Amino acid sequence: MTGNNGVTRWAAASLALGLALSTTACGGNLGSGANSGAQDFPGGQPVTIYVGQDPGGSTDLIARALAKGVSDDLGVAVTVENKPGANGALAAKELAGKKPDGHTLMVYNGSLAYITPLAVPPGEAIDIAGYEIITGISQDDYVLVTAPSSGMATVEDLKKAGRPITYGTTGVGTGSQLSQALLFAQTGVTATPVPFDGGSPTLTAVLGGQVDVGSIQLGEAIEQIKAGKLKPIVTFAEKRPSYLPDTPTAVEQGYTIPVQQSRAIFAPKGTPQSVQDRLRASFQKAFGAADYKKFNEDNQLTPNEVDGTKLREQWTASLDGYRKVVDQFKITLGKK
Amino acid sequence: MDLSPVIDGFGVVLEPANLLYCLIGVVIGMVIGVLPGLGPAATIAILLPVTIGLEPVTSIIMLAGIFYGAQYGGTITSVLLRLPGEASSVVTVFDGYALARQGKAGTALGIAAIGSFFGGTVSIVALSLLAPLVAGVALDFGPPEYTALALLGILLVSTVSSGHRLKAVIAACLGLLLATVGRDGFTGAERFTFDNLSLADGLDFVPIAMGLFGLGEILHNLEERHRATPAPVAVANVWPAKADLKQSSGAIGRGSALGFVLGILPGGGATLASLAAYALEKRRAKEPERFGRGAVEGVAAPETANNAAATSSFIPLLTLGIPANATMAVIFGALLIHGVSPGPQLVTQEPELFWGVVNSMYIGNILLLIMSIPLVGLFVKILRVRATLLAPITVLITLIGVYTVNNDVFDIVLVIVFGAVGYLMKKFGFDPGPLVLAFVLGSLLEDSLRRSLLIFDGDPTGFLTRPISGVLLAIFVLVALLPPVRAALSRRRARQP
Amino acid sequence: MTEPGSRSNGDKTAADPPAELSLADAVHEVEQAEHDLRPPAAGPVTNAVVAAVVILLGAAALLGSWSLGVGSARTPDAGMWPFLVSVVLVVLAVVLLVTAKRTSDAERFSRGSWLVLAGLVTMVVFVAVVEHIGFEIPAALLCFVWLRFLGHEGWRTSIIGSAGVVAAFYVIFVAALSVPIPHLF
Repeated sequence: MTGNNGVTRWAAASLALGLALSTTACGGNLGSGANSGAQDFPGGQPVTIYVGQDPGGSTDLIARALAKGVSDDLGVAVTVENKPGANGALAAKELAGKKPDGHTLMVYNGSLAYITPLAVPPGEAIDIAGYEIITGISQDDYVLVTAPSSGMATVEDLKKAGRPITYGTTGVGTGSQLSQALLFAQTGVTATPVPFDGGSPTLTAVLGGQVDVGSIQLGEAIEQIKAGKLKPIVTFAEKRPSYLPDTPTAVEQGYTIPVQQSRAIFAPKGTPQSVQDRLRASFQKAFGAADYKKFNEDNQLTPNEVDGTKLREQWTASLDGYRKVVDQFKITLGKK
Repeated sequence: MDLSPVIDGFGVVLEPANLLYCLIGVVIGMVIGVLPGLGPAATIAILLPVTIGLEPVTSIIMLAGIFYGAQYGGTITSVLLRLPGEASSVVTVFDGYALARQGKAGTALGIAAIGSFFGGTVSIVALSLLAPLVAGVALDFGPPEYTALALLGILLVSTVSSGHRLKAVIAACLGLLLATVGRDGFTGAERFTFDNLSLADGLDFVPIAMGLFGLGEILHNLEERHRATPAPVAVANVWPAKADLKQSSGAIGRGSALGFVLGILPGGGATLASLAAYALEKRRAKEPERFGRGAVEGVAAPETANNAAATSSFIPLLTLGIPANATMAVIFGALLIHGVSPGPQLVTQEPELFWGVVNSMYIGNILLLIMSIPLVGLFVKILRVRATLLAPITVLITLIGVYTVNNDVFDIVLVIVFGAVGYLMKKFGFDPGPLVLAFVLGSLLEDSLRRSLLIFDGDPTGFLTRPISGVLLAIFVLVALLPPVRAALSRRRARQP
Repeated sequence: MTEPGSRSNGDKTAADPPAELSLADAVHEVEQAEHDLRPPAAGPVTNAVVAAVVILLGAAALLGSWSLGVGSARTPDAGMWPFLVSVVLVVLAVVLLVTAKRTSDAERFSRGSWLVLAGLVTMVVFVAVVEHIGFEIPAALLCFVWLRFLGHEGWRTSIIGSAGVVAAFYVIFVAALSVPIPHLF
C-alpha cells in the first residue's frame, strides 16, 4: 500500500522536524501573559493600538502615523487594529477589558468623551475616568460643506431653502452631529440628521447630493474643497483655520458653537505608572519626528500633545460646556 | 479611457509575493476542484484566517485563484472518473466521460482547458471595460439605491439558486437577523446580545462562514456512504486535434458569452452557466443525439461557460458591492476584514486593489493553462488521497485557524455551533449560501434603509420616485412575484382539460 | 438508482424528441447525482417540525425586536429592522408548515447521523479543554477518532496519522508561525 507508506514517511519526517524545532521554540504558553510585569516593558511583546473607526479615516491615519515612531522607539511591533462601531465605543469597551500591561492602547476620540454622553442615556456613556490617559495628540476642526449643485453657499441660503434640510453626520454623538444640531437650532432651520459610519461615507453622500449638507473634519474634506467639488459654508472653529482663510466661522456669524475633534492615547485603567511614563516618552519621540510634523500639516491637524492630566481637564471642561448649550437650546442628539 | 491604472495593476500582479499567492491560489483551487467534497466557498472560508496577515490585494488574488482554479480542477475528475469534483462540472460528465471511454480523454481535457482559458479571458476583458463605467455613476448611488440593490441581490441569490426557493428565502431572513446582533450604530442600543460581551460588537463573519460552509459540509459528508473510487482512464495525448478544435470553436465562443452574462446576474454563477451552455449547444446541434456519446462541444461549452461565469461574477461584487453567489459572499467578507468595503467607489478609491485583482486573473488563467495540461497525471494521483484522511486535518485547520483571527476561544465555540447549524440546514434542505450572503449584506441593507427613511422624512414612496432605486425595486417585485404567479397559472392550466 | 450522466439523459431525449435539456431538468439531474449517496428523504412530520422550529425562532426574534422599540417610519428605532425581518420570517415559515406535505428535500436521520454527532462531540471536547491543557492532546484525540471510527482507517494508520498531524500542526502553527494558540509543550 503505497498510500500508507507515504503517510508513515511523512509523519516520521514531520515528527523529526517538530522535535528539532521544539528545542528552539518556547515551552507551553498556558497561563502565560501575567509574567510580563512593569519592569521589563515592552519585554519583546508587540503593542496593539485600537482604532474605533474604519481604515482610511483621520483617526486611523493618525494612529498609523504614530505607530511607526513608537515602534522604532520601543523596539517591538506596534500594530493598528480597526474595531469600528458606535463611534469607537466598541473599541473603548474592548480596551477596558484588556490587561493593563501597556500592550493594548487606543486612539480615543474626544467626541466619545464629551459629545456621546449628551446623546445616549445616562449610564450607557463611557466615562473617561475608567481609563489611563497616556498623552494628547492633536485637534481637528469641523467644516460644514455642500455640493456646488445644491446652490447653497451661506447659512442664509440654508434658512431660505423653504424645506427641511437633510444633514449628514459622521455618526450619532459625534462633533459632526453636535455642530450642525447647534447651528440649525440657533438659526431656526428645520433639519433632519442622517448618520453615516465616519467621515468618508458622509463625504460621498454630500458629493452625490444624497444629503444637503454635512459637517466633516477639515482634514478629510480639504482635498475636495480645493478641487472645487465641495463648497465650504462655515467652519466650527473658534478662529478661521489657516487652511481655509476665506470661509467664515460660525462664531463670526453670531452662533456660539465652537466644536472640535480632539484625540488622545488611552490605556486600560490600572496600567502601572512606569509603563505609562515609558509609553508617553515613546509618543513624545514620535511627535518630534519631521515626518509626523509634516503629516499634521498635510492633514490640517493642530498638535495638542499635552499630558494625561491636562487632557482630562480639557475634555471634562468641553463636556460641561456642551451640556450647557444643549440644555439651553433643548437639543436631542440621540436616544435619552 | 485612462489606461494607466490598468497598467499599474499589472505592476501589482507581477510583484513576486502576488505572483506566488496567485500560483498558490490556483493550485489549491485545482486540487479542491479535483477532490469531491469541499467546494470553493468552503475552502475559501477555511482559508480566511490565513489571509488576515496578508496585504488585501494579495489575499484577494489568492482567494480568486482558488475560485476559478476550482473550475479547471473539477473537469479532470468529471472526464476521467465520471465524478464531478464541482457542481459546475456535472454536465461535463455527460460527454467528457464518453470521450474518455473512446480513448479521447486527452482531447476532452485539452479542449476543456483551452475553452476555460478562452472563457476566462473574454470575461476579464469585458470586466476591465465595464467596471469603470459603473464607477462613473458611483455618486448617484445613495442610501435608497443601496437599499434596493441589496434587497434585489439577496432575493435573486435566494430564488435563482438551486433547491427549495422558500427555504432559501427563509435562510436569507435568518442571515439578516444574525446581522443585527450587537450594538446598533444609530441609537447605541444593544440588540440580541444577551449581555454577552463577546456578542457586543456583533457576530464575526469568519466563524459563521467557516462553520456553515466548512464544518457544515464536512459533517454532512460524514453521512455519505462510501463510494469506491474507480480506476482513472489513462490519459494519452492532451493536445486536441485541429478538427476537434474547429468543431468546438463555436461552442467556446457561445459559452464565453453565455457564461459572462449568467455570471454577472446575481444567483447565476458557474453551475448555472455550465448547464445553460450545454443545453444551448445541444439545442443548436444538427445531430443532437451525438450529445452524451462523446461530442467535443459538450465538453467545450460548459467548461468555457463555467470559467467565464466564475470571472464575471466578480463584476457585481467589485463594482456594486453585491456578491452574486455564496463564494463571492465569502470574498466580500474577506474584503471587509481588510477594511475595504466593495462598492461603486472601489475602482476609483482602490485602483491598485481593483486592477491588481482583475489582472491577476489573466496571469492565473495562463498559469492554469500551462499547468493543467502537463500536470493532469499529478492531479489524478491526488485522488488517491482518501477523504477520510483529509477530513480531520480540515477540521483541525478550521478550529485552530478561527482561533488565530482574534485569539479568542469564543470564536471556536461559534464555529462549532455554526458547523452544527450548517449540517442541520443541509440536512433539512436549507442552502446555507443565502444565509451567509444576507448576513454579509445585512448591516448595509439596514443602515441604508434607515438612512433613506431619514432622507425621505419617513415617506417610503421616496424609493419609487428616484430612477435607479425605482427600477431596482420594480425588478425586485417582478422576481418575487413571478414564481408563485407562474406556479398558480400552471396549476390552473393543469386543471383545465 | 438513477445514474448521473449519459444514460439517463439519453433515455430522456429518446422519449422527448425535441432533444431539449431544459434548465430545470438539468438542475434536477445535478441534484439527483448529488443525492444518490445520501440518506432517504424525510417524511412530512420532520418537515412540519422543521417549519415549526423556524416559526418559534421567528416569533422569539419578533418579541425581542418589539421590546427594543420599533419607532416610526420617520424615526426608525433599533428594533424596526429586525421586527420587519422577523415578520417576513414567520409568514414564510407558516407557508412552509402548510406545504410541509409537499416538500421532499429534507433528509431522514440515518445511522450515519450518529457519526456526525460523534464528530461534533470531538470538537466540543477540543474547545472545552484547549485553554487548560493546550491543543496537542485534544487535537490528537480528535484526529484519532475521525480516522479510526468515523473514517474506518486501520489502527496503525490512525495512530501514526493522528500523531503526525498534531506534530505537523505544532511545527506550522507554534514553531514556524508563533500563533498564540494554547499549547502544552
